[in-house]
Amino acid sequence: EFVCLFSLVLLTVALGAQALTPSHHLSLSDVARLQALLSQPFTDLASAYYSIVGLSKLGASVADENDACHFLKAQLDPMSVDSLFFAAEASQAISDCEIPVSNETRDILLAAVSEDSTVTQIFRAVSALSSLGLPLASQEVVGALVARIAKEDNVLAITTALQTATRLSQQADFGGILEEIEDLAARLDDLGGVYLQFEEGLEATALFVTAAYTLSDHVDTEPPLKEDQVIQLVNSVFSKKSWQSLSEAFSVACAAAALSNNRFQVPVIVSAQGPATVSHNQPILQLLVTDVLSNPLASASVVVESAQAVVSKNVILTQAPFSLRDGIFELNFMTSQPASGYYQFSVAITGDTRLVASQVELKVKVSTEVAITNMDLSVVDKDQSIGTKTSRLGRKAHDSHQNFAMTFQLVDVNTGVELTPHQTFVRLHNHKTGQEVVFVAEPDSKNLYKFELDIAERKSEFDSMSGTYTLHLIVGDATLENPILWNVADIVLKFLDEEAPAAIQSKTLYMPKPDIQHLFREPEKKPPTVVSNAFTALVLSPFLLLLILWFKLGANISNFSLSPSAVLFHVGHACMLGLMYVYWTHLNMFQTLKYLAIIGSLTFLAGNRMLAQKAVKRYGLC
Amino acid sequence: MSNSVISVISRFLEEYTTKTSNKLKVVDAYLFYILLTGALQFLYCLLVGTFPFNSFLAGFILCVGAFILGVCLRIQINPDNKGDFLSISQERAFADFLLAHTVLHLVVINFIG
Repeated sequence: EFVCLFSLVLLTVALGAQALTPSHHLSLSDVARLQALLSQPFTDLASAYYSIVGLSKLGASVADENDACHFLKAQLDPMSVDSLFFAAEASQAISDCEIPVSNETRDILLAAVSEDSTVTQIFRAVSALSSLGLPLASQEVVGALVARIAKEDNVLAITTALQTATRLSQQADFGGILEEIEDLAARLDDLGGVYLQFEEGLEATALFVTAAYTLSDHVDTEPPLKEDQVIQLVNSVFSKKSWQSLSEAFSVACAAAALSNNRFQVPVIVSAQGPATVSHNQPILQLLVTDVLSNPLASASVVVESAQAVVSKNVILTQAPFSLRDGIFELNFMTSQPASGYYQFSVAITGDTRLVASQVELKVKVSTEVAITNMDLSVVDKDQSIGTKTSRLGRKAHDSHQNFAMTFQLVDVNTGVELTPHQTFVRLHNHKTGQEVVFVAEPDSKNLYKFELDIAERKSEFDSMSGTYTLHLIVGDATLENPILWNVADIVLKFLDEEAPAAIQSKTLYMPKPDIQHLFREPEKKPPTVVSNAFTALVLSPFLLLLILWFKLGANISNFSLSPSAVLFHVGHACMLGLMYVYWTHLNMFQTLKYLAIIGSLTFLAGNRMLAQKAVKRYGLC
Repeated sequence: MSNSVISVISRFLEEYTTKTSNKLKVVDAYLFYILLTGALQFLYCLLVGTFPFNSFLAGFILCVGAFILGVCLRIQINPDNKGDFLSISQERAFADFLLAHTVLHLVVINFIG
């Protein structure tokens, strides 16, 4: 069981370490913007409803209440359920505004509560009835709602049904409607583990949040939403900071009001006031602890559970409380004398069982000031090991036989501790040519910084340009309040083999390079046509010689028999030779073989016959 | 020395003109023509260059092949060699000559490009 317990502890620690905290909420400027949007002049009853009720949710009110009331009464259409709803709800938000009610009104509203109306109609009728103080039968409403939910199975309809239930008597049997909260929550889309929202959009999500909390408060049952889900819903609803329509702004205002003031789950927002940095001049870390509407939670108590250095993992503080001053929680961190660097704060907010996301991780930077001490400049001859110490000011001339050395220490001004900042550079700059060479000074094991310049070795970096170079020491780090750029000295460098001042490499590095032209494969050189033609004639000339020789020898075709096979043979043979020519010019091997097979077989048969005849003629009849 | 060479050559020519039959002389003339053609092609290649090389090879090999086939034909129809070629009549030799030439031409034309 010990293993089980251990793994359980490990699991909780792991889960706790990954606890989600809200990444979005309504800051004071966001709330102001929302209020401004809701304070638009009314165009119709619906916009009046959104504005008046929305503002009341944010704890504000319309500019002119009397005007608003008159507007509502003037725009009211007593025959329309929607109109009655808007007017009734809005009038409730304004003090001293009564909508006249007649029996007809009541009848119209009651008639709307039935299985045949849409959920929205039922909701508006029920709300109007309850705002106008008219009696209604809760059980009937529940029945109608349940029937409608079965038919209209979309998110908005069910959310509206939940809202309707909040207007009913607490003794009613809500039964199935309460379970809808959990069913709807299951339909939310998880985006990257950070956002949880309906695909129908922001308004649907915000209305769902409002309905879930209002109904849970109404029936005094904890809403079936886990902490992580609540945070994700907060992120979704408050990630959008400018709202496209009045109804969207209204839904966000309602959701914000529900999340900041319900009986079960109140998400808490913790942020540092200004940058989370402390130093000797500003030793106090200030935290803002508010709800989603940026209202400070005065009843909370804030405690640092642990403050751990990021690099060294030393725990500096445990269980240190913040003190509340003017709505801001403060802690003087410098009293613990932390070394400069980054610290991981684990902050817990207690004091209210409703708080959600009450464990927060914060990264705090402790910055300090640096001072350079024990600066030593020397010129060391390469053959010698002992250097001659010279004064810091003035110019020094060095040539290739000497090394230039610089040592110094960097200490924290306040504590005297040695520091190793991220950036310690030595920069040599030649004013005349604009050359700049930067070296890094590195600390040894005792945190003593050393920089040695071997002039002969480094001459390639200087392009062997002799001249006066200004030497700057640059010290910088994220945790330093006073980064240093110090012109330590001017040194004159003399290089033995000085090249002619060429254009500085870096300047041409970023200019366009010369174009590369593509070289196509050059065709081979052909001999002139005259030569080719001459040789063609020459090569064909022996044929003439052959004909002459044959003539001289007396070769003739007097024995040529005109038998059909002989004729066919010679014609076939001629065709074959012609085919060769055609093959050269037009055909490919396969076509040629095809024709050759046909012509060849014919020629062969004819030739066979012809030669046989010839043989017979020569040898006599055999 | 040169005397004997000249006398050998003149004796050879004399024997050739008298002793060889006309048919063989016809074939010899044909062989001589093929030889000349091949030699001229080679000369061109030496003088002007080997572009296009495949064409030169095709032409040259055709000459060489034709020469060889001609020699074969001459051997086979020479009556002095009849003892060696009992089963091959003159017509048969000629037919073989034609067939071999067909194949040779096919290959050469393919290669000439």
